[in-house]
Amino acid sequence: MDTKVIFTKKFYYITYGLMGLGVIGLVYGFLTDSHRTWANLLMDNYYFLSLALGAAFFFCLQYITQSGWSAMFRRIPEALMAYIPYAGIIMVVMYFGLHDIYHWSHPDLVANDELLAHKAPYLNIPFFMIRLVIFFVAWILLTRYLRKLSLQEDALGSKELFEKMEFWSKVFIFVLAVTFSAASFDWIMSIDAHWISGIFAFKNFAAAFYHGTSLIGLIAIILHKKGYFKDMNEYHLLDFSRYMFGLSIIWGYLYFSQFALIWFGNLPEETIYYAKRWENGWIIFVFLNFAINWFIPFIVLLPQKLDKNINVVYGICVLLLVGLYTDIYEQVMPDFLTSPSLGIIEIGVFAGLAGLFLFAFAKALASAPLIAKNHPYLEESIHHHLH
Amino acid sequence: MNTTHIIGVFDSKMDLLAGIEKAKSNNFKIDEIYTPYPVMEAIDALERKSRFTLAAFFYGFAAVVGVLSFLYWTSVIDWPINYGGKPTNAFPSFIIITLVLTILTITILSLFTFSIRAKIYPGKKYILPDERATDDKFIVLFDKKTAGGGFEAISSALKAGGASEVYEKEL
Repeated sequence: MDTKVIFTKKFYYITYGLMGLGVIGLVYGFLTDSHRTWANLLMDNYYFLSLALGAAFFFCLQYITQSGWSAMFRRIPEALMAYIPYAGIIMVVMYFGLHDIYHWSHPDLVANDELLAHKAPYLNIPFFMIRLVIFFVAWILLTRYLRKLSLQEDALGSKELFEKMEFWSKVFIFVLAVTFSAASFDWIMSIDAHWISGIFAFKNFAAAFYHGTSLIGLIAIILHKKGYFKDMNEYHLLDFSRYMFGLSIIWGYLYFSQFALIWFGNLPEETIYYAKRWENGWIIFVFLNFAINWFIPFIVLLPQKLDKNINVVYGICVLLLVGLYTDIYEQVMPDFLTSPSLGIIEIGVFAGLAGLFLFAFAKALASAPLIAKNHPYLEESIHHHLH
Repeated sequence: MNTTHIIGVFDSKMDLLAGIEKAKSNNFKIDEIYTPYPVMEAIDALERKSRFTLAAFFYGFAAVVGVLSFLYWTSVIDWPINYGGKPTNAFPSFIIITLVLTILTITILSLFTFSIRAKIYPGKKYILPDERATDDKFIVLFDKKTAGGGFEAISSALKAGGASEVYEKEL
């Protein structure tokens, strides 16, 4: 019961190696194209932050719904949350890159632009940084507190702690819904400050939840294959698949809604967003997104037989992690590149943050027993069986 | 028309499951199970295979193809109208109608499929083998011809599982 996951030295060396690649990518990037480097840093940090917050949302949802099946896997999202402070540091460092990314951060440009001047009381550098700090302080405090309660439960094992966690989970998803929406508006949507989409934050929130869940599933499967989670059976896989299947529809629905309304309304200030993504090869990403994040998971996970097949679910999870990248790439990069390209900067920065993400995750996962032994629903999770 | 049925009455879910177990180990074929509330294990025990989901999938597929081609025919071939300079083949706006009509088609066709397969139609008289099934008893029903055993054999098997009562009835 008290087994901890042991990460080999090699694993840590790999994460250090990836972080080294990241440093090389950053140095190379700042020497050649600082514009693109800052954009990449924002994009990749948002990518991993989405996964971490999506996992945290999944974690809270299990408490609020009092789900039994997932009690065994609780430590995975807990460990994934450990990336949030690192993401906070990177976002604070982004202060030095604001001028490279955001149009509205140049006072001289804002002065000549009526629309941006109108938005200036909200979109200005001091307020932007204040909001950023508030978001991260809220997320870090709440996730730290949930983690603390979870570890306390291991030692004490009382029902009150479970109820306490349920309450704080409710607080957290409320805070997350507001702050993550505002954060998406701030960090991603305001890159093109003239353009607005009301559904944008909800879409990205759903994407974070969707892909965060697939990452949890992926890690559970990998650990199962390595010999941990001996009690994991096909019904756990079925539940993960159902989550992904349902969320694929939600994601597709929201992604399409944003497009359909803008296409139908046909207002120039809105269509410019998609006009940009229709030319110079960017259109590939619109279809790629649809294929990876909606069509393939939807079709593959439709028959229940495939839902229970560990290799199929594994493949879909990996595919979805690529899908989140293409999703965010399509949102961020058309404002910085004329046509899609994957260069040293993209690969370097992504590898660096991936290394950091894995390092934070591994440290957190190894520091506590893999299975929360005093969870009230643990027995139900171990004997999980569906009809 | 009427066939003789053997009816086993159980007082609790645990007894019911034990009785089903005994009947199955003797290779008696259970015709139907009536319970006051859904009992998943009983559904499993009936071992009924359903191709319903497959049928629903094909209804959906046919609906998507049908609705899209119908919309294409109406708005491009038969009666093209210029709506504010939009292309006549306004594909993105077709999707929403397709989505809604697909759901409707699947729902209605599934209802009919189920009704036909289960032989349920409006005005059909409902046959309840034992009225206590709507109260607190669990009822297991055997068709005497196809059950694979006589009354005595089935009765003793069910009693061994905990049946409170076993009797024959014409339905």
